[in-house]
Amino acid sequence: MNTRKPRFYPGRSPRIASTRRGFLQLSAAALSGAVLSNCARNLADVNSEEPAASSAASDGGTLHVYSWANYTDQELLDSFKAKTGVEVVVDTYDSNETMLAKMQAGGGSAYSIIFPSDYMVSEMIGLDMLTPLDKSRLVGLENLRSQWQDPVYDPGSAHSIAATWGTTGFIYNPANLGTTLTGWDYFWENGGSLDRKITLLNDVREVMGGVLHSLGYSYNSEDPAELEEAYNRLVELKPAIASFITNGWEDQVASGDLLVSMAYSVDAIALIEENPDLEYVIPETGSSLWTDTMVIPKSAPNLDAAYEWLNFLLVPENAASLVERLKFATPNKTAYEQLSAETKADTKLFPPQDLLDRCEGIAPVSEEATELYDQYWTQLTSS
Amino acid sequence: MSTSTPTPSVVPKAKVSPRWQQKLGHLVGPLVLLGPPGVWLLLLLVIPTLLIFQLSLIPGIRPGQPMDGFGFGNYLNILQPIYLQVIWRSVFFALGSTVLTLLLGFPVAYWIALMAPKRWQNLLLVGFVLPLWTSSLLRAYAWITILRPTGVLNSFLSTFGLPTLDLLNRSSAVFIGMSYSFLPYMVLVLYASLEKLDKRLLEAAADLGASAPQTFWKVTVPQTLPGIAAGCLLVFIAGLGDFVVPELLGGASSMTVSRLIYNQFLGATRNWGLGSGLSMVLILAVSIAIALLIKYGDRDPESFS
Repeated sequence: MNTRKPRFYPGRSPRIASTRRGFLQLSAAALSGAVLSNCARNLADVNSEEPAASSAASDGGTLHVYSWANYTDQELLDSFKAKTGVEVVVDTYDSNETMLAKMQAGGGSAYSIIFPSDYMVSEMIGLDMLTPLDKSRLVGLENLRSQWQDPVYDPGSAHSIAATWGTTGFIYNPANLGTTLTGWDYFWENGGSLDRKITLLNDVREVMGGVLHSLGYSYNSEDPAELEEAYNRLVELKPAIASFITNGWEDQVASGDLLVSMAYSVDAIALIEENPDLEYVIPETGSSLWTDTMVIPKSAPNLDAAYEWLNFLLVPENAASLVERLKFATPNKTAYEQLSAETKADTKLFPPQDLLDRCEGIAPVSEEATELYDQYWTQLTSS
Repeated sequence: MSTSTPTPSVVPKAKVSPRWQQKLGHLVGPLVLLGPPGVWLLLLLVIPTLLIFQLSLIPGIRPGQPMDGFGFGNYLNILQPIYLQVIWRSVFFALGSTVLTLLLGFPVAYWIALMAPKRWQNLLLVGFVLPLWTSSLLRAYAWITILRPTGVLNSFLSTFGLPTLDLLNRSSAVFIGMSYSFLPYMVLVLYASLEKLDKRLLEAAADLGASAPQTFWKVTVPQTLPGIAAGCLLVFIAGLGDFVVPELLGGASSMTVSRLIYNQFLGATRNWGLGSGLSMVLILAVSIAIALLIKYGDRDPESFS
């Protein structure tokens, strides 16, 4: 089981922003803190402006954590407190860029633990924002799968510990589609019958990358000819595409107004929990693979508590029970083995190894290529 | 008006003090009153705008890069057909919503200001402004629920045997969403204008034999023209900057300039140079609109009759 190998590609300039849950940025920008929890999945706790930021530095008994929504729950915080006596305050962010902006502006000086994604770890290392981890203070690192012991985004895992990972795929209702979806090719073969019935992510690298990958190229292609080919494929598909949205497709897929939506595995799994008729599929040609990690920023107060937190989540039992409750994929091999048979067999969470081998991490591309991606994206979304 | 504020206590002393002191005394009032907002404007509007302007003159600058180089590359870049098309779409959405809100808002404001019972007026206005208390994102999501093919609207239509409408993920949905978002602004501004309407002129027009349409076009509209202009401008500017509604409701071909700017700053490209250039174009467009309002918006109503 330990041969699961997501391939991460090296990148010199950490300038990519594959904004997973990118739409949520909009929410932050558009309404700065309104409560959305009832409205849409994952929109909960967009930004709880707790008195966190100001007071933390002084009190030793509190640990401030800055995380994506749904990576912690009260039970975890309670058991952490019972074990260590440290009170945890969790604030959530909705995009790596939002988190980075807040940290750079000095608004995050209270946080001792953050959960940046792979490419953002590279970027933050480049900006000298992360504390090199003192491995002698960490217990259980060997439980992580080998590829997360030395990931390309953070060689030697010197600054980060992988916390969760996931894929990108399609969510659909087989009864509505009338068939089983296996990959991208279906869309071109059945373009005519899909008239504005599918949505793709509002994320240039995921969409262009997905098509590139289906054509047999890399997610991180910088070849202008390959990019043009992918773009032309997407133009051809345009009549079938209702919209490019990262969130907001949920009710429409559930009701059948949309036949297929491209989605991140975490979002898809959350919806399927409520709506078992739906299915999540990773294209047979493979998809993108992402990792969210835990890091300690340079500005972190209360280092002791931060290490206690990392160690607590490295304990396989703790990680496993959290995964059972919150349904995300753990990079912790020992924790995986302790999961219930049902969870282990959930291919949405843990896709089969041969499929994972065909997946690829999204890595930063050169400036010229980035420019080209954006040009094609603007053309695609405006013509 | 502001200069007279400190006078009650200052005046007796001022008589005996030298002229410069007197002058200073006259300056204190305006300074105290205008200082804080002035500093606020300087720090949060003027300086950031200048920073954006500076960035816009460095072709293709990205975060983390040194701020050197100078040129109009970003602006020349914007002249590409693809970006002009995006800008045109933004203007189209904003203009369309402006016209729609004016057509919808005027009767409402007219009714509240002139025909509704006086004691209900405030309540009606509050009721109208109430939706503004919810987030614009939430309202856009609500429109998805209403407009989607099997959504609220179409269920309603099919119950009455009417043909269903396919509105979502098209320009029509953007117009609906934006008009709904900005209607309260239009109504508030128009109400403020209509409320001041001199009703004696309406009576006089009727006495002199003007028909209702004549009275409306020759008496009511000219008197409320500044309000109409202000309301339209407010909606137009807000529409130009809106990115939630086009993104959520507009479908696959709804790139607008505000979304484009957003992509340049927080999206994959991080081309802050181009983003700043686009921002400056947007700021310029809005400034021209405001300048037009200042020039023509306060025109003497008589000149229209």
